[in-house]
Amino acid sequence: MPGNKNIKLYSKNLSFFYGNNQAVFDVSIEIPQHSIVAMIGPSGCGKTTFLRCFNRMHDLYPGNRYQGEIFFDNQNILSKNIDVTLLRSKIGMVFQKPTPFPMSISDNISYGLKLNGIKNKTEIKDRVESALRSSALWKEVKDRLKLPATGLSGGQQQRLVIARALAVEPQVMLFDEPTSALDPISTSKIEELAAELKKKVTIIIVTHNMQQAARISDYTAFMYMGKLIEYDETNVMFTNPQEKLSEDYITGRFG
Amino acid sequence: MKQVKTTNFGDRFFSFFTFCAAMVVLVSLAGIFISLIFESWESLSRFGFFNFIFTDDWNPVKEVFGAAIPLVGTFITTILALLIAIPISLGIAVFITEICPSKLKAPLSIAIELLAAIPSIIYGMWGLFTFAPIMSEYIEPGLQFVFGDIPFIGPIFQGTPLGIDVLTASIVLSIMIIPFISSIARDTILLTPQVLKESAYSIGTTEWEVIKDVILPYSKFGIYGGIIIALGRALGETMAVAFVLGNRHAFPTSFFDATSTITVTLANEFTEADSNLYMSSLYLLSLLLFVISFIVLSFAKFIVHKGSKKWNG
Ligand SMILES: Nc1ncnc2c1ncn2[C@@H]1O[C@H](COP(=O)(O)OP(=O)(O)OP(=O)(O)O)[C@@H](O)[C@H]1O
Ligand SMILES: [Mg+2]
Repeated sequence: MPGNKNIKLYSKNLSFFYGNNQAVFDVSIEIPQHSIVAMIGPSGCGKTTFLRCFNRMHDLYPGNRYQGEIFFDNQNILSKNIDVTLLRSKIGMVFQKPTPFPMSISDNISYGLKLNGIKNKTEIKDRVESALRSSALWKEVKDRLKLPATGLSGGQQQRLVIARALAVEPQVMLFDEPTSALDPISTSKIEELAAELKKKVTIIIVTHNMQQAARISDYTAFMYMGKLIEYDETNVMFTNPQEKLSEDYITGRFG
Repeated sequence: MKQVKTTNFGDRFFSFFTFCAAMVVLVSLAGIFISLIFESWESLSRFGFFNFIFTDDWNPVKEVFGAAIPLVGTFITTILALLIAIPISLGIAVFITEICPSKLKAPLSIAIELLAAIPSIIYGMWGLFTFAPIMSEYIEPGLQFVFGDIPFIGPIFQGTPLGIDVLTASIVLSIMIIPFISSIARDTILLTPQVLKESAYSIGTTEWEVIKDVILPYSKFGIYGGIIIALGRALGETMAVAFVLGNRHAFPTSFFDATSTITVTLANEFTEADSNLYMSSLYLLSLLLFVISFIVLSFAKFIVHKGSKKWNG
């Protein structure tokens, strides 16, 4: 569908099972590089489940099963011999609720760097700063880097978490309703941030907020009961959806 | 907080009852403290507080009593027991919560709680009849063989390994307190939000790194709380230690020396105390233990409270 753009990530006939309970049905989708793809759909339709396939988060729990393929830079990341830890450092994720680690602000960010083998103190310091700058948090926290991250406001914590994910230089970022717990000002800061980030990374964002999807995304995917119903450029999707279901959902007739 | 005034008789009776129940605690605490002071007064006025603490002689015949040896014995066994118990307990807690297959979880947790339910005298008897012989025949000679000739630490592995000594007592004590630390550690580890662990995984950490850098720091203050409870237990534990420490009034210079603790002295000598001064000195020892426990526990609680407020919001 997204023309002849460079495809960073795509799934082919992806299904997902929680034990015997199938939550994603045969989804094929292409994610173009340096774009923002919004996933919308009613609660329980499988957006989170689908998103978490891309960094194999489901591997953490027993009984979960993938079927089909996901290609990331033309490598099937669902295959057995993939280094999941390495994969996750390339495909970052931000959750609904901010999750700062129980450490200081700067340690929250330097932690991932140290894991990736960066030991040089000045390099760490520089990269902490640049990560905080790129998540538009630097000005607010530069005088309190050594203080506990739990002391930040919810919006600041969420931007810290984004900075933390960015510090390890992922190529893809997965956002699962990143602003649903935040106030409008923090929300718009994070939306601006996403627009800025797409120069560097490819973004998939799950959102319940139709305006948000329309504002920031290039493509929108509508899911319903575990299936991908429609996937198109965002402006087409919101002005001229092809499927009746998508139209009903977008115009608020159900959801 | 402002009390809500109520006119209902049942309510008033009930709140009066709970008030009385709560007062029982304060009254008994104060009562015990006062009677300890009262009973130990003779010894206290004879030797003086600091003199009592620093005197390393405990001689009922000459009527000279000093607490230095039991004090040191108490601290050494407590600290050693904690040093042994903390890593093992954390290992147990991490294993149960993060690593072991879900079928094993419940049986293991129950086994650990049962360990806590065993009366301490049983630990003492087991220590004396089963564990001490094993220590003296196999473990202690082995330790002596390995560490005995190393400079600096060699001397603390000297002496005849009889099995009734500081090391055996500390190990028995550590087994006793492991259930406290590990079950509290398990409970607090379980409180670590799933999404926090997931976000650590999501930047590419391994399971071990998540345990070490996220789960343990997050549950740190709960774990400290468990350690405090264990500390209180270890300071005051009597029966488990009495059988395997020896009640010898001399400073230990090696792991294989017998010595005494405050509680062991008390347990062994209350029936023998034939003079008022002797009895009063034993009371002074108990007063000392009371005060130490109180100070150590309140200090530890204070630290935990301050720390958890700062880091966990
Ligand atoms: N851990 C789980 N085990 C079993 N079933 C699950 C689990 N998590 C989700 N499901 C089921 O999978 C389906 C999809 O859930 P999912 O959380 O992906 O929906 P969602 O679109 O993200 O919803 P929301 O908008 O409310 O976040 C639902 O029917 C849900 O009940
Ligand atoms: Mg969801």
